[in-house]
Amino acid sequence: MMPSLYWQIQWRRNRRLTPLYGVVLLLLVVYGWLFPGLFSRAGLAHFTQSWFPLALVAMAQAILMLTGGISLAVGSLVSLGAVVAATTMGATGSLVSMLLVLAAGLATGAASGAIVALLRLPAIIVTLAGSFIIGGLALIILPRPGGMILPWLSAVLAGNNPTVLLGLLILLVLGWKFYLATPGGIALYAAGENPVAAYRSGIAVEATVIAAFAISGMLCTLAGLFVAAQTGSGDPVIGTTFTLNSIAAVVLGGVGFLGGEGTMRGALAGSLLLTVMINVMFFLGMPPVAQYIAQGIIIVVAVALPHLLGRRLAP
Amino acid sequence: MKALLRSRPLLTTLVVLVVWIVAGFASPGFGSWPHLRYMLELASVIGLVGAGQTVVVIAGGIDLSVAAIVTLSTIALPLLSWSFDTTGAIAVLGVLALSTLVGLVNGIGIAWLRVHPMIMTLAMATFLQGLLILMAGGSAVTLDNPIVAWLGSARPFGFSACIMLWIVMSGLVLVLLHATPLGARFFALGANPLAARLSGVNIRATTLCAYGISGLMCGLAGLLALGMNGQGYVGIGDPYLLASIAAVVLGGTSILGGRGTYGGTLPGAVLLVTITALITVVNASPGLRDVLFGTLVLGLLLLSGREAKRR
Amino acid sequence: MTSVSLAARDVSKAFFGNPVLRGVSIELRPGRVHALMGENGAGKSTLINILSGSLSPDSGSLDVGGRTASSLSPAEARQAGIAVVHQELSLVAHLSIAENIGLGAYASRGGRIDYSALAVRAAELCALVGLSGDLSRPIRDLPLGERQLVEIAKALYRNPKVLILDEPTSSLSARETERLMALLRRLKANGVALLYISHRLGEVMDLCDHVTVLKDGVCTADQPMAGMTPDEFVRLMVGRDAGDLFPAFESAARAETVIDVAGLSAGMVQDAALTLRRGEILGLGGLVGQGQEDLLLALYGAMPARARTATMLGAAGLVHSVTAANRRGIAYVPADRKREGLLLTHSIRFNMLLPDFGRAVSLALRRTSTERKLTDGLARLLTVKGDLSRPVQALSGGNQQKVALAKWMPQNPKILLLNDPTRGVDVQTKREIYLMLRRFAQEGQAIILLSSDTPELVHLCDRVLVMREGNLVAELPHGQVTEESIVAAAMGVSPAREAA
Repeated sequence: MMPSLYWQIQWRRNRRLTPLYGVVLLLLVVYGWLFPGLFSRAGLAHFTQSWFPLALVAMAQAILMLTGGISLAVGSLVSLGAVVAATTMGATGSLVSMLLVLAAGLATGAASGAIVALLRLPAIIVTLAGSFIIGGLALIILPRPGGMILPWLSAVLAGNNPTVLLGLLILLVLGWKFYLATPGGIALYAAGENPVAAYRSGIAVEATVIAAFAISGMLCTLAGLFVAAQTGSGDPVIGTTFTLNSIAAVVLGGVGFLGGEGTMRGALAGSLLLTVMINVMFFLGMPPVAQYIAQGIIIVVAVALPHLLGRRLAP
Repeated sequence: MKALLRSRPLLTTLVVLVVWIVAGFASPGFGSWPHLRYMLELASVIGLVGAGQTVVVIAGGIDLSVAAIVTLSTIALPLLSWSFDTTGAIAVLGVLALSTLVGLVNGIGIAWLRVHPMIMTLAMATFLQGLLILMAGGSAVTLDNPIVAWLGSARPFGFSACIMLWIVMSGLVLVLLHATPLGARFFALGANPLAARLSGVNIRATTLCAYGISGLMCGLAGLLALGMNGQGYVGIGDPYLLASIAAVVLGGTSILGGRGTYGGTLPGAVLLVTITALITVVNASPGLRDVLFGTLVLGLLLLSGREAKRR
Repeated sequence: MTSVSLAARDVSKAFFGNPVLRGVSIELRPGRVHALMGENGAGKSTLINILSGSLSPDSGSLDVGGRTASSLSPAEARQAGIAVVHQELSLVAHLSIAENIGLGAYASRGGRIDYSALAVRAAELCALVGLSGDLSRPIRDLPLGERQLVEIAKALYRNPKVLILDEPTSSLSARETERLMALLRRLKANGVALLYISHRLGEVMDLCDHVTVLKDGVCTADQPMAGMTPDEFVRLMVGRDAGDLFPAFESAARAETVIDVAGLSAGMVQDAALTLRRGEILGLGGLVGQGQEDLLLALYGAMPARARTATMLGAAGLVHSVTAANRRGIAYVPADRKREGLLLTHSIRFNMLLPDFGRAVSLALRRTSTERKLTDGLARLLTVKGDLSRPVQALSGGNQQKVALAKWMPQNPKILLLNDPTRGVDVQTKREIYLMLRRFAQEGQAIILLSSDTPELVHLCDRVLVMREGNLVAELPHGQVTEESIVAAAMGVSPAREAA
């Protein structure tokens, strides 16, 4: 029997990513060879922890880039998530606190999306100004590092057991797959690549964009919650580096800047690639400074390589 | 009249003047010449970074490495100083050459390797960040260059040297953009790269020029910032990334490329400094300051800066 | 009164102050195929966009299913069962065939797209339009003809009551076209109201029952098809007899060769050989997308190319960049003026000066007075009236094309490469452009004219080269070349078989 249409489509999308998967696997093998402890429970937990927040923000950035947008407010949203978690958890308990974190991301995301879609201001500008507003809010909520995360939550999320994190990640990926299989999810691609065609086909382009921003915001604050759990407290500027790294991961994962091109699994693979790269450099004893330099070079080479190879291969 | 009101540069200038007059009456110190001069001095750094950013944005790109290049030029100055160079001129030229070179490398990555401008300049910023920590080692660099010190603090005839430098550079950039074929090429490239290429515009060379100019302007801005601060440190350039983009867009230059003028970025830079000064007057916490700043900028952008409707 | 599925009454629409439709009415009825005819730029696409809710008319009204409204939204149009097969395809390149067919109207099960139902329905529709192969392929990987079929299947997916087809056969093969005709007849029998737009007179006369003709935004005919002759059609569309559109042919070709290339390969082009002489107009014909454009771009240095031997304007070798081509005296006018030819939001003056900006010394100061004199002169030559500081998009399609062509004149190019220069241009401007080409040739410029309009090739060119699948398959000198011989060579059949 023929595989169903859905799986055939998935299979084609995977095939385009094979080279990326290959590189990630190769690097993972190198990493495992350099650091055999990776395959222990603690080693795996440590690695997953360094990957998890980047994976979340990469997903957040990828959703927006698929709709043809971009966010420069990822970092400040992560900070916001961290401070909301650290300031509310003591008073309200973990569950309410977590819901507040998600609601904060959802609301700020949806608001940015509304400005982009309804008031027609370019996403890059809105999120640039938004990064000030959201970062400022984080500073108001918690002017200096402090607050607290319930120890049991820190232990579950950032302890020596990777199961919870990996489980969460699988849950998120399944959630995304489910969303993408709904009419609203697939509208992301149409609205991002060809808004006129999407509009003509009866897709609510504005609503699609707002939804994407809302989901993206939620993923960012969730990453903030996790980062706070790792340190046990909140820090209003902890998210800063995530803006650049999210864009880098997503682009390494083959998501295009023009919208509608790329896949979430690509973005996740990109974030994994970036994490492994950083970890490998760390275990090779490179100082953090050299890591920055190497990272800059690697990103450019990785993005330019297909073009260079393509030109060589073309007749 | 309507056409005048639609002119973004003019509108931005009017907003600045209104704010100055109102704030001047509300708070006596605000409208005094020393305070206005101080704001213009601060604006000159943003204005110079914004000059390069304007050129790049008009040419259809964006430069996210400006902050890193500004910092680079402040950190690199002492490293390029030699004892025989008593005036410090060689060091200044060296720094400007270095920052231009960084811009050109951006241009090469974008034009030849076809890396998206955002990625190329982001990667450059990451690269430079590492390099800077390596060079400065986390400590501050003290200024000992006579030219730069003069630029940063001299006030011949009561008028700051840095403002005069800004005025001269503004004139040059305006002429470059609006009265030379190269400037016309920037506009053509930003409006429609394919049509520009088929009409005989050398896309690669033009891209290279745009990013080179941005690098040069950042270098100059870095020297000014160093001269005013008296010392350079890693992170000194950070505020200028967002400020330069905001100034460009506030001045009516389309972030999508092809339309705009540096004539708008000039009041845009002053407006940003004015907003910051006003917020300082309000005496808010750092967090509230950021919120106010972002909200005001966003509000101003919503007044114009919007894209056309789909139908 | 007979039932009306969709009607427009007295609608007008203007873009940038240029009226595109002036008081046009049209009535679509169930079970009738209505033809909408008119030259490029006559306002057909605008009318379709109004009928399907993509545009709002400035004045006039629309009747849909018994209701009258001043305009429709796309959602309302969809609810009323109006579907459009657009000429500019409205597909999403990175999604699969099936996902595109159902886009915006998926059947869902538990909130999720019902992929198995979609697969069944899409397969059905693809079989109907004659598209075979795997439905999971992304649109990106399909050739133009198959994309067109997907677009048609997408319209049918919605079970339309009114189906509007805008040039659905422009990139279909003869066999695919025949199948589509049969399908449309079936839909008609089932009571669907059809609006059919095509430039192919044969198809239209075969298929349609009623015809509306537009000329320059005004309705010049609204009558049953029965009894219409091709000549009448042309008169209604063009407003004059077809014959005097072209200036009298008079060769200006000289002995001197300006292009002599052999073994040229670039993109689709394989091993092409051609020569071009001063004052010669060399036609380049064939079906759409057989490599003609690649050949022009290769000669212009805008596409990587190799040649066994090449001499261009006395210098050996191909040019390898546009800048180098311009320096040698080669100019190119692209087909898609909006995407490739003009900076739409910039002034007419700026566009006219663009090639000069490309070549002038980077930091030399521009002289406003010289620029003004130059552009004013060009505007007079082209009879473009009005303020030259207006954005070029404010001009009509024909005038835009004249700007795209004339901007090269100050450079005095020796070779002009023209890619379908009269596409979407009104008749009057066409004639002006033909006269310009003739004059250029007389002045000694060499011209390669790529055209999808076969009469142009017949009436204007000294020689016509025909391309098929990247090969130059025929060379037909003026006098021997006919529309039939070009089509026959393009399709790879001998003229005798084509006639039979």
